[in-house]
Amino acid sequence: MSFFRCVAGVLVLARPLNSVRTVEARRHIKRWVAPTLRELAHRQQKQGPQKPEPRAGFVEWNYRSELFAFGKRLGENFELPLLQEAFTQRSYAHQEEEKQRKLGIEEVDLKIADNQQLAKKGAHIARAYVEAFLKQSLPKVPKEGQDAIASYLLSTETLAHVSSHLGTKDLIFTTEYPPSPESLAESLQAVIGALADSSGVERAFLFVRDFICTQLNQKDLLDLWTPKQPLQLLDEICQQRKLGEVEPRLLGDCGKNTVLAAYQVGIYANRQLLGKGFGEDVPTATETAALDALQSLFDIHDNRRPFDFGLQVETKNVRLG
Amino acid sequence: MSNSHLFMKSGFPRAPLQNGLGRYVCQLQRITLKFCKNNGSSKGMRDFIENHLVDFAKENPGIVVYVKPRRHRTPVLVGEYLNGDREWMSCRNSTEADITKWVDLLKTQNGSSSSLRLRKMWHTDVPSIQGPWTPFLLRAPETHGQAYPSVDASKPLDAPQTATEKLIELFRQQQLETEDVLSQKRAE
Repeated sequence: MSFFRCVAGVLVLARPLNSVRTVEARRHIKRWVAPTLRELAHRQQKQGPQKPEPRAGFVEWNYRSELFAFGKRLGENFELPLLQEAFTQRSYAHQEEEKQRKLGIEEVDLKIADNQQLAKKGAHIARAYVEAFLKQSLPKVPKEGQDAIASYLLSTETLAHVSSHLGTKDLIFTTEYPPSPESLAESLQAVIGALADSSGVERAFLFVRDFICTQLNQKDLLDLWTPKQPLQLLDEICQQRKLGEVEPRLLGDCGKNTVLAAYQVGIYANRQLLGKGFGEDVPTATETAALDALQSLFDIHDNRRPFDFGLQVETKNVRLG
Repeated sequence: MSNSHLFMKSGFPRAPLQNGLGRYVCQLQRITLKFCKNNGSSKGMRDFIENHLVDFAKENPGIVVYVKPRRHRTPVLVGEYLNGDREWMSCRNSTEADITKWVDLLKTQNGSSSSLRLRKMWHTDVPSIQGPWTPFLLRAPETHGQAYPSVDASKPLDAPQTATEKLIELFRQQQLETEDVLSQKRAE
């Protein structure tokens, strides 16, 4: 066997000497590239869509700079430890503690702070300020309507939308990536709480005004709050404001007894036209007209004056309880 | 002409998160400068880092700046925006002035503007201030009590005069004139 190997080696060495020396034709087309790429693509397709990579896993990532820039971007001065606490979700803190326990570290004083307290505080501040803001900018809307609009502004979807557009997505410590809307919303509330702790509750109020209340801009307020029984509500309001008895009247109709029937109803009180509405039958038209009348009575119609977001709500009007 | 722009992501010019209504938030959240320490194509990038980067970072504390040297690779600018967009830009053989301008562009836009096809140069949530037209809008008062079907209301408004109608009108006019002449004579 070893003899064979020797002979083979000699033959291999001897070949270039035997062959006629010509200009060697170099193959410029690399024939392995296409099959390799095809195989890689095939494997990628087989694996299915991949989860997005957390930005924090990249080489160019400095959490401290990111936290600092987060505050500066929003024009606020945060205390960095508080801000980091605001971005730590409870689930993450639990996971870390579990890891430590597994490693045999069982010390009670080494607890990782999570954002539950800050989120609670921030949610309280946000609710109080949003209610005061709505009370001042929509004074004619009844309590029920203001509550509905406030609950839209403080809903998880709105808060998560605001939060993700402020760049919290990469900063939050959670067990899942990308963070769920709930954790996005919670961390925004915690950021508000941290701001109140860092630079005072007044700055936190301005933060809520500039980032949460501005979501009302160009919104149809009737979408956020539609009274269930508008005619009854209108009746009550007219009695309260002493506008007279509410009286719906048919202003016009067309295409009666056809599929395309349309009725126009006007709502009068004390011979004054309050609102007009259309419908495919008279009750629907009356309801629409009542909504229209309510819109103009509450000053929430489409062509109302835009909200003033430079509004200064006095701190004494914000009921922090 | 290429139609590749048709397959680009399309949209309207919009400010994210009502930016600027409450306060202005710079939408560029981090910028990464990648360059080679000795390759000629990175000369401009190296000059920029040497002369302007510290000032840039001081002026914009809200933007995180990462500098990443790597051997024998093209210099690159990567901007990351608050809406999650990431913009990659090759700066091969760019001068220091070029890079200053590109960085300024990244700082002032809210996403990768060159990868967005604008469907229109404007956008409004309220297309009509007056509201839609309805058949009941600006109706003549006399049509309110109109009972249908009605012969008068069914006539087209722009029907031309027929020859018969013209003859009748001429005849009536003639009659009036003769009446006038008669009454004048009687008066005399």
